[in-house]
Amino acid sequence: MIEVRDLVYRVLRIGGLVIPDGSTALIGTNGSGKTTLLRLMAGLARPDSGSITVDGTVPVPGSTGLIDEYPDRNALFSRLADELAAPLRFRHIPCEEADRRVRMAAATVGLEDSLERSMDTLSGGEKVLAALLSALISSPEILILDEFDSHLDFDSLLLAENLISSSGARTVVRCTQNMDLAARCGRVIVLHRGMVLRAGSPEEIFPTLEETCCYPFSRRAGR
Amino acid sequence: MKLSLSAVEWNAGSWKFRADETFTPGVHLVSGRVGSGKTTLALLSARLLQPDAGAVEYEDIRSRTLSFQYPEYHITGSTLHEEAESYGVNPSAACARAGLAGRWDEDPFRLSRGELKLFQLSCLFMRQWDLLILDEPFSALDCRGKLAVCRSIGENRSGIVLVSTHEQHILPKTDYLWEMRTGKLTFRGPLPEAITAWESAPGPVRMLREQGVIPANLTRDDILEAVCRMHE
Repeated sequence: MIEVRDLVYRVLRIGGLVIPDGSTALIGTNGSGKTTLLRLMAGLARPDSGSITVDGTVPVPGSTGLIDEYPDRNALFSRLADELAAPLRFRHIPCEEADRRVRMAAATVGLEDSLERSMDTLSGGEKVLAALLSALISSPEILILDEFDSHLDFDSLLLAENLISSSGARTVVRCTQNMDLAARCGRVIVLHRGMVLRAGSPEEIFPTLEETCCYPFSRRAGR
Repeated sequence: MKLSLSAVEWNAGSWKFRADETFTPGVHLVSGRVGSGKTTLALLSARLLQPDAGAVEYEDIRSRTLSFQYPEYHITGSTLHEEAESYGVNPSAACARAGLAGRWDEDPFRLSRGELKLFQLSCLFMRQWDLLILDEPFSALDCRGKLAVCRSIGENRSGIVLVSTHEQHILPKTDYLWEMRTGKLTFRGPLPEAITAWESAPGPVRMLREQGVIPANLTRDDILEAVCRMHE
């Protein structure tokens, strides 16, 4: 569970917010504070005042699986194989086992023949898939996804969503501009100018957006 | 006016890009799987990448620009004012167009990614281009920003506009469909006929197609109209 109390940081002003285990989508217009809130959850920033805790403790960098919205910021190593293996090596997983898991992970998204490639030769979408694999390979309990979906085609997105749902992560918090994805989450939080405008289930949130371009296509189509 | 990729080949290790096609004025939408070569096509078309074989030829193209997938690649100024001036456009007008009125003295890196993307595209759209290449123009934008970009693309359709995108829901009025498949550029044809054969179609188009409904084009209005027909 993620808990926010009296938080002030940059654009954010959040008196109280509880994000239970499960999947949660953060939605809102550009500049509403979605990325800022995710970075706080991932321990990459500290609030000016107030608090944010993940399972009762203050998050620190590396405590969650994170995909940054800037794909180039995700990579630490130059070779894809090293990038994917890094979280395992940091946890002292034996090299043979790490290599086996890296090969298995790469194969799930069709990157098995790209393991020797330099990260800077990957396409934007391939970098996002690499970041997802790197985040999932050490089986994090908390997964923070900053709009990774906008860099993926329909089929790659389906693949990525399957990986996320089968990852075993207890809590997945994502921001997205894809309202069909948001509508499939258990909970939706609407941010507006740094504040929580609404929070609830998709059934509670999306009817209030029916007259806007934010209304999910799947609902208009009755799917 | 035309852009021709004549027997163009470009290689990166075992991966090969191949194209032998011509683009004429209008909006050309390019889709394809991750890593299929869309950005390579954009770079070659903008002459920012030299082909290993063949030629990229311009006919009557006197102005051209490329918008990169990641807006931070474009930043050269320390304020939005400097940034807009680097595009040769009025800073106040550029800020207003991007919904950032009065914020001309802010550091571009302090903007959210969506704000930065819309600002950078707004600067581009304030000029007319014979060849406008947009690599993932919709990523990071909220739906209102995407609709604004679609309108701006429509205003530039007297030139050649290449739009490569994974966007699923809000797309511009499109004249021609293209697909990249493992490095090979394939022409699918004019809209709406090309929709039937569109392999990398977005989710909503696939769903409509499965119901036997073909939208007249790809705009949000076209998709919603097709949804209505599906319900009839």
